[in-house]
Amino acid sequence: MTAPALEITGLHRLFGGLPAVRDVSMQVPAGERRLLLGPNGAGKTTLFNLIAGDFPPSRGEIRIFGQNVTKKTAEQRTHLGMARTYQIITLFAANTLLHNVVISLMGLRTLRFNPLSDIRRQKTLWEEARATLAVVGLEHLADRRVADTSYGERRRLEIAMAIAQKPKLLLLDEPLAGLSADERRDVQHLLQAIPRDVTIIMIEHDMDVALAFADVITVMHRGRIVVEGNRADVVADPKTREVYLGH
Amino acid sequence: MTRTSRAQMVLSLVAIAALVAMPWLVTSDYYVNIATQIVIAAILAMSLNVLVGFGGMISLGHASYLGVAAYLTIYLTSHAGFGPLAGALAAIAATTVLAMLFGYLALRASGLGFLMITLALGQILWGIAYRWASLTGGDNGLGGPVRPHPFGVDLMNPTAFFYFTLIFLAAAFWLISRFVQSGLGQSLQGTRDQPRRMRALGYNVWLIQWLSFVFAGFWGAIAGLLYAYYNQFVSPQTLHLTTSAEALLMVIAGGTGTLFGPIVGAALVVILKNVVSAYITRWLMLLGIIFVTIVMFMPEGLVPGTRRLRGIMRKSQGSPTTQALPVTEERPT
Repeated sequence: MTAPALEITGLHRLFGGLPAVRDVSMQVPAGERRLLLGPNGAGKTTLFNLIAGDFPPSRGEIRIFGQNVTKKTAEQRTHLGMARTYQIITLFAANTLLHNVVISLMGLRTLRFNPLSDIRRQKTLWEEARATLAVVGLEHLADRRVADTSYGERRRLEIAMAIAQKPKLLLLDEPLAGLSADERRDVQHLLQAIPRDVTIIMIEHDMDVALAFADVITVMHRGRIVVEGNRADVVADPKTREVYLGH
Repeated sequence: MTRTSRAQMVLSLVAIAALVAMPWLVTSDYYVNIATQIVIAAILAMSLNVLVGFGGMISLGHASYLGVAAYLTIYLTSHAGFGPLAGALAAIAATTVLAMLFGYLALRASGLGFLMITLALGQILWGIAYRWASLTGGDNGLGGPVRPHPFGVDLMNPTAFFYFTLIFLAAAFWLISRFVQSGLGQSLQGTRDQPRRMRALGYNVWLIQWLSFVFAGFWGAIAGLLYAYYNQFVSPQTLHLTTSAEALLMVIAGGTGTLFGPIVGAALVVILKNVVSAYITRWLMLLGIIFVTIVMFMPEGLVPGTRRLRGIMRKSQGSPTTQALPVTEERPT
């Protein structure tokens, strides 16, 4: 039997005395599209940060593809096949789009420790980066500085940097936030084109896009999971209306 | 080739030609010695720039490597019976090991914490040099005839010694410029700009910073070796906070994160310290005024500041402009 892409057991995180995530347990099978829903302050991004290894849980256990990663660092988890995007865009503003993707690709290669090898001469690395930009429709902007691009282009670059690493588990934190209708449609197509062997967990507030995307939905409220199931079950559940829709 | 890179190449060739021809251009050994001091200071500043400019790690303890390498070179060759080559290699190796230890300790913190730890470590070494008089000579310092005679060349000759140091400057410049464009150098610059993002991309931020710290310490040790050869004397002042601050001043004045900036900064500080001080008693005040002026009009330093001014002048002649957008701001939803 294949191990789940992500398995969380009794995860708890306190900030001072305040619990941000409370006894969360969930299992995401490989290849699933999972949506995390919940109002602001529900603990969704904190849960993402715990899964990504930005900070340790106060208690509980996280397993990625069967391997216990609770005590592993963020970079060690990335080397196990996990990638993520951020709610607040985090890019290298002074560099070109192409260079940003190159930095992403280097993260999994020993080249990152080489003090002498000029990365400008790593032809295959740059070609691979250009091909990744083509996937997200940004090839024509490859040599433009990030600082000179639009918000929507930066969102797509975030996704390009994540998929460049060919992850097995992809965490997307509000990838559609702040985008126009056209930009949303573009990113939506982009996400739908990601192969099914990549497990995706996404936080998103755009209900239409999110519900169309997800196989399973997890609704969080005040750090806890309150509803979990398929689209129809979650939408029909009165708790969803209570905590997420507010009535 | 772009106009900028062509201009940089021309500038580099002029600078190299001027440096090589320098002993013929000046008539006095005094000025050759000043140029030698600039070269040694430039190597120290370039090594500190690896941390400050490319790594975003502001250190106030970089004189440690200059001082320890200088003390070891003089002690080993003049007091412990080592030959010139063995003494030099042992001094550089031991100082690099010290950088490994200091890096391990200092990188337990970042930002102000990092700065304070480097300052504290530097001051501990200064205290040891000052108080352990039986080994270091205490306040009197440690002296000895340490300049070697490689391949029969008499390095007591100022011109020969200037060229000797110039070889090290060229090696430092080449290897540091290689480092900046290398995988490790690019990783270091990434950790400077977005450490959290770099971790998420699979980079071990601590290890990258530590390796770079050791690399910087190595070049600090080379500067210390040359310092010992040049002065044939070392005192606790070499390890003092003011020496570290002076190196930091060179980097900031010339331009952090640039290859030429620390060299220009080193030239500025050494010339003010040695030449101007002969005419003006309060040269430190003049140095302060110059530094404040640079910070006011070119806060990024002389080299990038000059580049920016040239860019503004070019744009005012009719070139199109581009508007930079903020990148880490979140669009309101």
